[in-house]
Amino acid sequence: MKAALAVSGAAAVLWAAAAGATPPPAEDYLLHCSGCHHADGAGVPGVVPPLTGLAPFLATPAGRAYLVRVPGVAQAALDDARLAALLNWVMREMSGADPRPEYDAREVGALRADPLRDARAARASALGR
Amino acid sequence: MTEIDARIERAVRALARRTGRRAFLARLGALLTGAAGLPLLPVARSAAESPRAPGPDENIPGKPGDPTDCDYWRHCAMDGFACACCGGSASTCPPGAEKSPVGWVGSCHNPADGKDYIISYNDCCGKGWCGRCGCNRNEGERPDYHWVRNNDINWCVSAKSLVYHCSVAIVVGQATEPQPER
Repeated sequence: MKAALAVSGAAAVLWAAAAGATPPPAEDYLLHCSGCHHADGAGVPGVVPPLTGLAPFLATPAGRAYLVRVPGVAQAALDDARLAALLNWVMREMSGADPRPEYDAREVGALRADPLRDARAARASALGR
Repeated sequence: MTEIDARIERAVRALARRTGRRAFLARLGALLTGAAGLPLLPVARSAAESPRAPGPDENIPGKPGDPTDCDYWRHCAMDGFACACCGGSASTCPPGAEKSPVGWVGSCHNPADGKDYIISYNDCCGKGWCGRCGCNRNEGERPDYHWVRNNDINWCVSAKSLVYHCSVAIVVGQATEPQPER
């Protein structure tokens, strides 16, 4: 039994190596976000919002949901798990914020299935403006 | 009049006693050295980029091909005029053209080292069409409905001028997962 487990474990490792490891969130950020938000998250004044001050969004459920439902995030060509990891990474690295609890695939999947009709209004509402 | 002359003479002589020519030369030298450093400050850097200044992305080992050729490895998804043919380089705009602050990002395979690199495609704006080295390679490009991966967009919409001149392909990182995914 142990031998069988060892063999299956080794097979799993080999399969993972052959399939290629999941790229780190930093790579997904470059490929899916940096074209507009820039490599450092600074954005473009008046054109693209910065990702450097998103902590206030985490203060309310609506704000937390907005960060997933906003079209650039919800429509990214990434599965729910990678998108959740990317969101957690952006919040930590760009905004110095710590999502509690961290975004996970289940939450992200449910939120991105509920598209925003008016992203700007939702943003203002989430920030209480 | 004589009184004015006398006052000026006294002032100049006093100045001459306090300062020497060497001090003046030292200050002038410091001023000139400082002035030479001014262009390095991050003010309108993209507009002032030297056309041939090598960027950090040019330190990649092995660069087969010619940046003035559409078959150049990092032009794998370019749709436009290669800036290297327009007075710029593969990664810098020609003088007088502004790099679009927004672009799209994909990846290209570098046959020299067998690795894939993440490429930012940006347009250079504010001058008329370059018209040289028109490239139309679309590896990894996606249709309009996936606009963040589309190369038919004039990315000068994000620049000061809408006028398109040429396109650059800037290496911004290494890709562990090539685009399109293999």
